[in-house]
Amino acid sequence: MWEFFARSLDASTIFTIAALGELIGQRSGILNVGIEGAMLFGATIGFMVAKVTGNYLLGFLAGIAIGGVIGLLHGFFSITLGGDQVVNGMGIWILGFGLTAYIGYPYTGPLGMERIPDALGLSPFFFVGIALIAISWFVLSRTNLGLKIRSVGENPSVAEVSGINVAKTRYLSVVTSGMLMGLAGAIYALDYNPVWNYNFLMGWGFISLALVFFSMWNPTILLGGSILFGTLWQLSLNPQLLFPNLLSRYIWRTVPFAITIGVLVLMSTKWFSSRWGAAKPEALGQPYEKE
Amino acid sequence: MSTEIKRGDTVLAAKGITKRYPGLVANDHIDFEIKAGEIHAILGENGAGKTTLMKILFGLVQPDEGEIYVFGRKVNFKSPLDAIDLGIGMVHQNRKLISAHSVIENILLGHPSAGGILNLKRAAEEITALCERYGYKVDLQAKVWHLSEGEKQMVEILKALYRGAKILILDEPTSALAPPETEKLLASIQIMTGDELAIVPFITHKLPIVLTVSHRVTVLRRGKVISRINTADATEQSLAKEMVGREVIFRLERVEDVEKGKPILQVENLSAFNDKGFLDLKGVSFSVHEGEIFGIAGVSGNGQQVLAEALAGLRKAASGKILVDGIDITNSTSLQRWQNGVGYIPAEQRAVGSIGDFSLVENMLMNYYFEDGFSKWGIVDTRKIRNLTEELIAEYGVATPNADVRAKGLSGGNLQKLILARVLSRMPRLLIVNLPTQGLDVGATEFVQNKLLEAKKARAGVLLISEDLDEILSLSDRIAPIYEGGFMGMIPGKSAERETVGAMMAGLQQKATVI
Amino acid sequence: MKLGSYEVKLEKKVNFTGWQATVISILAILFALFLVGFIFLQAGVDPLLGYKEIFSYAFVNAFGLPLTINRAIFLLLCTFAFIVPMRAGLWNIGMAGQLYAGALGAFAVAFAFGAKGALTSDLSAGLVIPAMIAGAAVSGMMVGAIPGLLKGRFNTNEIVVTMMINFIAFWLVSHMIKEGGPFMGSGGEGEGFKLPESIQPPLYQGIPFTIWIALGLSVLLYFVFAKTKIGYQIRAFGLNPSAARYAGISPFKISLLVFIIGGIIAGLAGYHYFATVPGVYKITKNYGDFGDLAFYGIICGLISQGNPLTAIPLALLFGGLTNGGRFVQGKLQLGFGIDYALLGVLMIILVAFQFFFRYRIVWKKMEKEK
Repeated sequence: MWEFFARSLDASTIFTIAALGELIGQRSGILNVGIEGAMLFGATIGFMVAKVTGNYLLGFLAGIAIGGVIGLLHGFFSITLGGDQVVNGMGIWILGFGLTAYIGYPYTGPLGMERIPDALGLSPFFFVGIALIAISWFVLSRTNLGLKIRSVGENPSVAEVSGINVAKTRYLSVVTSGMLMGLAGAIYALDYNPVWNYNFLMGWGFISLALVFFSMWNPTILLGGSILFGTLWQLSLNPQLLFPNLLSRYIWRTVPFAITIGVLVLMSTKWFSSRWGAAKPEALGQPYEKE
Repeated sequence: MSTEIKRGDTVLAAKGITKRYPGLVANDHIDFEIKAGEIHAILGENGAGKTTLMKILFGLVQPDEGEIYVFGRKVNFKSPLDAIDLGIGMVHQNRKLISAHSVIENILLGHPSAGGILNLKRAAEEITALCERYGYKVDLQAKVWHLSEGEKQMVEILKALYRGAKILILDEPTSALAPPETEKLLASIQIMTGDELAIVPFITHKLPIVLTVSHRVTVLRRGKVISRINTADATEQSLAKEMVGREVIFRLERVEDVEKGKPILQVENLSAFNDKGFLDLKGVSFSVHEGEIFGIAGVSGNGQQVLAEALAGLRKAASGKILVDGIDITNSTSLQRWQNGVGYIPAEQRAVGSIGDFSLVENMLMNYYFEDGFSKWGIVDTRKIRNLTEELIAEYGVATPNADVRAKGLSGGNLQKLILARVLSRMPRLLIVNLPTQGLDVGATEFVQNKLLEAKKARAGVLLISEDLDEILSLSDRIAPIYEGGFMGMIPGKSAERETVGAMMAGLQQKATVI
Repeated sequence: MKLGSYEVKLEKKVNFTGWQATVISILAILFALFLVGFIFLQAGVDPLLGYKEIFSYAFVNAFGLPLTINRAIFLLLCTFAFIVPMRAGLWNIGMAGQLYAGALGAFAVAFAFGAKGALTSDLSAGLVIPAMIAGAAVSGMMVGAIPGLLKGRFNTNEIVVTMMINFIAFWLVSHMIKEGGPFMGSGGEGEGFKLPESIQPPLYQGIPFTIWIALGLSVLLYFVFAKTKIGYQIRAFGLNPSAARYAGISPFKISLLVFIIGGIIAGLAGYHYFATVPGVYKITKNYGDFGDLAFYGIICGLISQGNPLTAIPLALLFGGLTNGGRFVQGKLQLGFGIDYALLGVLMIILVAFQFFFRYRIVWKKMEKEK
């Protein structure tokens, strides 16, 4: 049973870090629905680099770097070119999905390196995730930089006349955001399940996206949500732990997705939004043009 | 600034400022200067070039020609930050505050010495000191969306002062304020001039305010400086003449009571929530009769928007009843209301009243697609709607090359004419109009107001919601000032006094008269 | 920005003409093909040769052309499933889930008629085929209705919901055709049962009748958007939802309607590929590939700007490119997934080219500095 919870927390780490990336981007007003694409890039490039060099550190750095590049690309489309962020995010996702399917294909199969050692029976990244959550919370709520990020996400024209460089702040957030997504992907491919297969994320990114809405843009709630979904995901892979011989294993795989829909619906109800809905960054998804 | 500023020193001078936009010279060699301790008003109609000049002085827009001197030194603003650093502060007409943040966060945003980790305690002490000096009272921890318009403006002024502004530009400072709040503002401005601050208010039409507070006035018309006067030498009439270029009739001809008929709209104890889930409208009851204009006067944000939307079927009533011609329509859809003779002209012309990417013909169809005569077997009768559009464009004088251009290309006045044409051509029994002349120039305003009077003569019931006291006073048969979601009373339009209505709008006088 | 003695400026475009849009779209596609050319180069293949092989197989070869057309029909239907909600401003990226549902619905009908295992059964084609089409349409509709209903009633983000349903439907298909699922074929290889010959629809030159459904729908949808009351309401809602609501258009009805229509059409795409294409006639083991292929519908929809007639040549082009791409992979020994690479590159280039729809670049010769 401990093994099950340990694996659940490992899974939740990936949700946590990916969704935290999205959360930081969204607090600055940039919506990236292509989170799964950025994760696929981080996972695939990280996997390839680690496999070729035999070095985990290089693999993770490569994953983070490509995530940052993807974030930069999304930033370029959304900030500099000012395009529709949903379309841009879709572009990021389909690019990640299509291109990694091609470039990763020769690396199909297990990584074949010694597993990353556990810390206290958990993946060390679990603690990295907790630390990142704490840092993000502090930066967003207590520092000048955090105030700037939140301000460009709420109302960029106000930030502009207050002397904030909106584009710079948003770029900073969206690149950080991409790096975290890339890291999350790399953790998946190098630590959680080190076997490459095309489009192997199968929805992790989209669930992370839903988690951000669920978190009401608050890193600590996000952590709770991630742990919930990590456990759920792990349970859907091993239903026999709780319900032996009930339904086929395929049916169990649908459960996290169905619950995500349920949670999203709950959050969109009037009952919910009139109580906690005000947390949404007001300028989320809207391109900002200087006058 | 290193050197001490003395009263009467020129702190800001602009010479030959010129800014061209395609097809228009917004600012044409404008000269302007302001001295320490002076209030120098800039007066002009919409489109006179005030906004452009103000943006140039604040570094939001770069001029094509001309020079700006601040404290005697030539400057070249690349962004507002340059202007702020030199001690120029600006209070915008559309509040430039982040409503989800607290007051103190707003004041600190962008402040150079805010530090890496915010030192909220020290900032709070310094801001409180400023508040005391100028007689402001505001809770620094409150979220901005909780504040009234007047308080928000106060926060903006504080923000500019806290950043060390010596020159304060105020854009339409009194437009959204209730009369008592205006007085408070003017009092604090007087204290500031005593501190050698220079103040530049930009004002469109509140001439009495110009006369009471300013020392000098610069009047702009079509991008040029028309005159520069010492306020002591000016009168309301002379200023208006300078501004518009012709004599202005200040009051519309009142159309006296068209014979008042039976009630069309009856509202009983109506309440409704706003989008944030707060009860914005708290149990109002009234009726609107045939051939009557019922005016609701109020500073925006006091529930009139929610009321208009609830009547138009765009917002659910939390409680109460709405009857049109005696039939309960509280739960009918907006489509059913259109079909039953309700017409609604929203305040947001572009966001709600029209579809920018649709042609004028398609925009006309918005209120006709559901009519039997305009489609057959579900297919739209294109010729019929085109003919109607062209007729109405001619009748209402909408300036457009043809009916196929997209609506987003129309100016505000022309778009409002189009929307008016669309709704009035349906001959509604009940017409709901929300801020019909907001942002329109004098000519378009006059046109719109006359059309409302025509609707009244055609025995429609008109519910007019407006912030403009003059508009309300000159058009309405009965006036209900609204404050915090409730009516402060009802006054016959004929005998209504400006001061009374103004005070009631501010929530000062309870239930003056009931009719 | 200054370049030599020229000043380069971006100007906002208010309107652009139809042919400008066409030129921009064609340039975007060519540019994407150019970039994918580097993949050929990297694999040691002359890109021009690669494309020649792709196009000649896809559009000239007697084996390749019918495959291309069958893919194009599939893509066209997926494109419509995307376009209809798109005109209402909504994102249906759930074509994959809806088409899986359509396939399951069609095969459920066949199953109910006892088609499983009865290779020589003499089922009445005139009865079963229409029933299968109806089955596909109804199940596609039901799956499509979910995001529409949630969007209309609660304003739930339709992108996440449709994507979640894609995964749910994906696993449901596995449940039905694998590991002893009710629709599992006799081979035991984890694929669906095969339709008996009597209910395999007739072919003309290797093309089933579904081509008429696809072409008919493109004309019908074009007409609906251009001329009808309901099309007007959908467009109004797509361009400005608040104004549409003001005009009495119900957001709930429109959201539900467009997703129902989208779901039905995607369901038909599922029926088309798994029940009418020669040599298939079953839910294949690699059914997920067709879910992936459905994403080309997004690309066709975006390039065609929601015009169902323009979508026809686009579907044909991408049907050919993916079909030919699969072919040259084998012939020229390229890595797997060149069609996936093209999908990704096309999408991102399109996103980049959107920019040209909103701005134009103006070159102005500067006056000599004094």
